[in-house]
Amino acid sequence: MDKAIVELLARRAGLDKALAEFPEDVTAAAEQASGSVAKMKAPTDPRAEPWPPMRTGTGL
Amino acid sequence: MTDLHWMTATEAARAIAARELSPVELMGGLLERIDRLDPKLNVFIRLDGDAAMDAARAAEAEIMSGRRRGPVHGVPVGIKDIIDVAGLPTTCHSKVLIDNVASADAVCVSRLRGAGAIVLGKLSTHEFAIGGPSFDLPWAPARNPWNTDHHPGGSSSGSGSGLAAGLFPMALGSDTGGSVRNPASACGIVGLKPTYGLVSRRGVFPLSFTLDHVGPMTRTVADNAMMLEILAGHDPLDPGSVAAPAGHYNTKLERGVHGLRIGFVRHFHEEDMPADAEVMAALEHVAGTLQKLGAGIRDVRLPTLGEFAAVNRVILQSEAWAIHGQWLREKPEDYGQLARRRLMAGAFLSAGDYVQAGRRRLEMIGAVEAALREVDVLLCASAMDPPSRIDNPEEVERTYPRQARTPFNVTGHPALAMMSGLSSCGLPLSVQFVGHYFAEATLFQVAREWERAAGTENSHPRLV
Repeated sequence: MDKAIVELLARRAGLDKALAEFPEDVTAAAEQASGSVAKMKAPTDPRAEPWPPMRTGTGL
Repeated sequence: MTDLHWMTATEAARAIAARELSPVELMGGLLERIDRLDPKLNVFIRLDGDAAMDAARAAEAEIMSGRRRGPVHGVPVGIKDIIDVAGLPTTCHSKVLIDNVASADAVCVSRLRGAGAIVLGKLSTHEFAIGGPSFDLPWAPARNPWNTDHHPGGSSSGSGSGLAAGLFPMALGSDTGGSVRNPASACGIVGLKPTYGLVSRRGVFPLSFTLDHVGPMTRTVADNAMMLEILAGHDPLDPGSVAAPAGHYNTKLERGVHGLRIGFVRHFHEEDMPADAEVMAALEHVAGTLQKLGAGIRDVRLPTLGEFAAVNRVILQSEAWAIHGQWLREKPEDYGQLARRRLMAGAFLSAGDYVQAGRRRLEMIGAVEAALREVDVLLCASAMDPPSRIDNPEEVERTYPRQARTPFNVTGHPALAMMSGLSSCGLPLSVQFVGHYFAEATLFQVAREWERAAGTENSHPRLV
């Protein structure tokens, strides 16, 4: 992931302090996330539902 | 009589109930062993020895007066330190929660206490049950009693290490990507991730709401079934809890495997993540042994481990970010590096990524369900390698993701890991059995038959 994009996303997530103190950890986190997404196959059927589904309930 | 420290929970409970063994004698023996061995193993974050001994005296008095609380009255249990025990800190092995004292027992602890178990203390974990063995935390990581230069797996590290070392006969762990089954594999004990929703998570610090499971960890299959009998049951205050029939987990323990159909997921360890040669050979030996004992073995294919792992990570990282985001913004320095890196990943995932993972998850559940329509139990690898050295971060990083446990956190099927043999270096190797939803009794049936054939329950590390 491009360094500028990592910084932009990190700041948008409020990780300014982590970016200043642990920049390598922020980069490593961004790489993990993009690596996981890249390895995930998206369903081809547009009607495919996510799990777990919405369920009606009364709350806790 | 078996050495006190190698007594199973079943043996200890029976001997205590028969007044052949005092809970005070058992507790005293274990506390002496903990005092001697724990400085080398780092199993405990917080040993509650005085309270445990008081509880043992109370149990002795109750039993002598004819009052038996339940099936494990007077038997000690260790609790992973992400699980609340009233009056004790739940630190999650982290500076972030170093002063977080629990006001009530988690439901799983409450159920064990109701059955008469005595809480010994809080056990080491990976920080917030994620990452790996870390040396930049307030407490040192647990070590493997088979060889203290090696890691004991995680994140329920103290649970696995303490059981294998004979420090207690029962422990609680939690499993979001394999954290009960990893230490079970690395330490040569028995660890079960039950069906999702079977055991309440209330009072357990969350890592990922839809992947988290609480599971029993023991040295034998029978003990594991006994623990699950105590732990399982609907909790209306846990939104993931399922109102399904629970119980009777030991009813098929001694039935053998004749006529059972077992699906061998070979592609996990042969193609997806080629395993260490000794791991492969041990898996073939397990399958061959069960076949000789009358089970039918056939090959089964599931989605690849890489796909399962990616879906698990996207869900886990997204949900964990929702939990840890605020602390990571305000005090990232309070986390160790490994957990900080893993937990910040969710900041870089989109809502769309999370939903896509959930959609793929449903397809993967369908794939595992389809495979299980043809067989009673799946057999597959747990760890692809023997436990690596603990002081070699590159080797830990390389071997940690080489596992086949995450698929069943994604799908919620029950999965049990146990010893398949020992490596040429004397370290435990492992096998995993996976069952139909809520069919833990069948899982225990197969696991018990393997345990009996291989004699794994009598295999202990040599500790001085």
